[in-house]
Amino acid sequence: MSMAVADGRARNRRLGEEIVAAVLFLLLTAIPVVTSGYVVYILPQYMLYGMLAMSLALLWGNVGILSFGQAAFFALGGYALGIVMKEPLAINPAYVGLLVALVSAALIAALVGWFLFSAGVRDSYFVLVTLALSIIAEQIAVSQSQWTGGWNGLFLMRMDLTLGSALTYSLTEDAPAYYAVLVVMVITYAVLRALTRSRFGKLLAGIRENELRMTSLGVSVPLCKTLAFAVSGAVASLSGALYGMHSGFVSPSLGGVQFSTEIVVWVAIAGRSSLLAALIGGITVSSISNLLSSITPQYWQLCIGILFILVIAYFRGGVAAALPSLLGRFRSHP
Amino acid sequence: MGSFAGVLIDATLITLVLALAATGLAVVFGLIGVVNMGHGAFLTLGAYFTWAGIQAGLPFLIAVVLSALGVGLIGLILELVLIRHFYDRPFETLLLTWGMFLVVTELIKIVFGTDFRNVPSPLPGTLSMGDIQIPAYRLAVSLFTIVLLFGLAGLLFHTSVGLRVRALVQQQESAALLGLNVERLYRQVFTLGAALAGLAGALISPMLSIDPYIGNVFLVRSFFVVTLGGLGQILGGTVVGSFIIGGSETLFALFSSQVVAQTIVFALAIVLLRFRPTGLLGSDRR
Amino acid sequence: MEKTFGRVSRRTALKGVAGAVAAMAAPSVITKAWAATPIKVGVISPLTGAWTVYGKAHYSGFELAVGEINKAGGVLGRPIEIVVGDSKTEPRIVVEQANRLIRQERVDFLAGTFSSAERNAAGPVVAQSGKLLLYPTWYEGQSQEFYPGVCNKGIFMFGPEPSQQVWPHVDYIMKKHGKRFFLIGSDYAWPRETNKMFKEKFKELGGEVVGEVYIPFNTPQYESVLRDIRNAKAEVVFHSLTGSDTVNFRRQMHAAGMNKDIALWTVDDEEVVTSGLGPEVSAGTYVSFDYFMTIDQPNNKAFLEKFRAKYGPDALVNTVGVGMYNAAHMLALAIAKAGATDTAKVRDALGGLTFEQAPQGPVRMRADDHQAVLPSYLMQVRNNWTGVNDMFQQVQALPSVDPVPAKCKLPL
Repeated sequence: MSMAVADGRARNRRLGEEIVAAVLFLLLTAIPVVTSGYVVYILPQYMLYGMLAMSLALLWGNVGILSFGQAAFFALGGYALGIVMKEPLAINPAYVGLLVALVSAALIAALVGWFLFSAGVRDSYFVLVTLALSIIAEQIAVSQSQWTGGWNGLFLMRMDLTLGSALTYSLTEDAPAYYAVLVVMVITYAVLRALTRSRFGKLLAGIRENELRMTSLGVSVPLCKTLAFAVSGAVASLSGALYGMHSGFVSPSLGGVQFSTEIVVWVAIAGRSSLLAALIGGITVSSISNLLSSITPQYWQLCIGILFILVIAYFRGGVAAALPSLLGRFRSHP
Repeated sequence: MGSFAGVLIDATLITLVLALAATGLAVVFGLIGVVNMGHGAFLTLGAYFTWAGIQAGLPFLIAVVLSALGVGLIGLILELVLIRHFYDRPFETLLLTWGMFLVVTELIKIVFGTDFRNVPSPLPGTLSMGDIQIPAYRLAVSLFTIVLLFGLAGLLFHTSVGLRVRALVQQQESAALLGLNVERLYRQVFTLGAALAGLAGALISPMLSIDPYIGNVFLVRSFFVVTLGGLGQILGGTVVGSFIIGGSETLFALFSSQVVAQTIVFALAIVLLRFRPTGLLGSDRR
Repeated sequence: MEKTFGRVSRRTALKGVAGAVAAMAAPSVITKAWAATPIKVGVISPLTGAWTVYGKAHYSGFELAVGEINKAGGVLGRPIEIVVGDSKTEPRIVVEQANRLIRQERVDFLAGTFSSAERNAAGPVVAQSGKLLLYPTWYEGQSQEFYPGVCNKGIFMFGPEPSQQVWPHVDYIMKKHGKRFFLIGSDYAWPRETNKMFKEKFKELGGEVVGEVYIPFNTPQYESVLRDIRNAKAEVVFHSLTGSDTVNFRRQMHAAGMNKDIALWTVDDEEVVTSGLGPEVSAGTYVSFDYFMTIDQPNNKAFLEKFRAKYGPDALVNTVGVGMYNAAHMLALAIAKAGATDTAKVRDALGGLTFEQAPQGPVRMRADDHQAVLPSYLMQVRNNWTGVNDMFQQVQALPSVDPVPAKCKLPL
């Protein structure tokens, strides 16, 4: 009986999430229709931050691995695309660049992940390693200036989506770029969501709950963690590549510790255990930051810091976990 | 030959200053397992308090002592209000202390402004050893660091407080069963760690420019110092860790550029962490 | 105006959060609008983040000039309105802010950004939107490979580049202190390019580079570099570290007792940083720039009076603040000359324009490569200085130095 109730609740929550996701995507689809200008320009960048946040939520919420190194992969994607796009290639260099961004990030994440997870490096120690990854990424971007342009950064062009020679869809204008990013974001969300629902996703959740038990069940915990880290790295890198294309510019601080921790702030505030919450968190927290900073440039970070502490201290699951219970309270006391 | 001695002395001085900066973290992270991301902010606060003390006309040493006490007090307050509720959740403390860092840094900017601040060196001048010149103040701080580390190790191994802390480190539940006031012990250790970070910031302030981000430089390095040395290894661990992070950077820089040296050191730290996850001097109890 | 306001309010309903802010701002727009529509200039300054220490002078230079312009009746009968954007010292945020200012605030011009990386981040935005960016900082010069961050017809440079800041003084320092130079800089484009330019001139004059080191940002300890400098028997350290690293290095060089026998020439440490260093550490070192607070110029006296009246007797200004000040005034002059705020017309009017009242003496904007013709001063820091008024002793002054032509496809 109680099992059935719990099951029903879980189904309700899932249904709730699906409705929220559908509403969000519809809203985002409608925005360029009803308005233009800055909002249409800037939202894709925030959607890409949202994708980046999902890449962290996949690790943190589903596997229990906290990474302060997501920015390193984000920057890797931006630089990979930028460097490849400079080369004259037979096929559309932007496609090659995106592929390189995805594959290189997945490979690096897999190598680093396997190297560490196979030795049982975890928890705070892994956080430390990912912090170092961020520092290393920033240092490499600064020092290898023949490829990266060093501290002065690297310029990228808005790409054209081509199909053979017949079809060309240019992303130079705001609205086409907006929809291209939106489509990638929705697909990424769908894929990651399917992944967490799959058998593999169940394994990851099992690892989060009890690593020893999964090991005794014959699951290779290091392998699962490595795969999750590789997928997360690839998603972060893809969002970074698109970000570079969209903003036209990448620089080393994109890979740095400060940006990495900003991502953690978004996800923590929004709720680490839901991909959708992370996505919304990435979009809204960065929007609010932008908004606050144009009203009170001197105090915006203080506000974010205080909000962050409050959320961690009082709403451990973030806003996503706090909202339903608050709403529930409203409902039961009309 | 003189140049070799020079390198050795440089590496030693760098190692010891880094060890000083990491001591507070070695206590907090190493003994009670709090991943204190606010460590950098504590260092920064120590430096600013010292600057404020000097501005108010206090002698340097008094300013240093007051800074350490002041930061210790702030640590105590934060422990009482926030940290103590989260000892059993390492990720939450990590995040909370990171939030602390964000807030403290912003408050510093609002209270002290963002101009470069400057604490004059209380011991100007250099000592000559053959053709090698050693800055007097830096030497004094290095010697003090050695005394401090031995003092802490002595405290830990030869006093009843130390005994209790070690019992806690070894086995938390049985420490509680033995009737130790675990909560109070945690509070004392956290406060001590904050005060030590404040002390380090105060002592380092005459060597560096003081800006709201001064502690950041030491934050990640300090974490690696503590982890590589081995948690709980206050004396040997901190020195060995500092040498690997700070001293070896000096040595690598002899053969490559500074940027490459820093990158190598961090990569090396990751590799060491993998093969010795309990630290170079850590026991295998974990 | 009615019509414009109507459009704004319709959007407000649709834009959600972003629009709500515009709506809150709208009443102030209306009250000003009955006089004349202001000319909007977006100013991007490092108000938070690592370069905050420069942000104050950077922003107040522009603000002061705009106040003066408006008090004198504005331009074309219209006041100038500043819309500020905080760069947070992050190129990533510069992209956001530059777009916000152009697309949402609908500014007519952009001014500011501080570091080369920030300017480069704004480059593509400027190129795409067809707006102008007025850049105030001393920088590494232009080269076509870094388009659109430089060699961009929408960007005007109001600060000096190495052929102005460095070349005129190499000879003097060599003759006075010797030919063995050690170069130390932060590891990025500006120090590397500056040193490259420096070496060009230096080799010509027969100098010898005995060491060249680039330091990553946020390096706290400098023992090994100081040892190299001593072992190389350097006579002069040519210094282009930035941020807190410059202070850390110089304090440690001083602590090592090396200032006694090695001269130091910095192309970074203006009033703000030298104040941070304090008198003991900075005494005797050379600094070169296009502007110092202590230069003996009638224009400067008038400028400082106004600056201090507005920001207090202890407020600091520097080459960047003055760059921003000149940028605002020259923009106003160009708009007046063009008779419109149209980008192309103002761009043409600004090229070739001279600003007679610039604090450092008349400043001319070169038309073909958008670089300013500026004075160049070499100063030596006095012993026991007590404040900016007695900080620098003038050693050499050139009233007007033409920069080398930008390495771009000219004219821009």
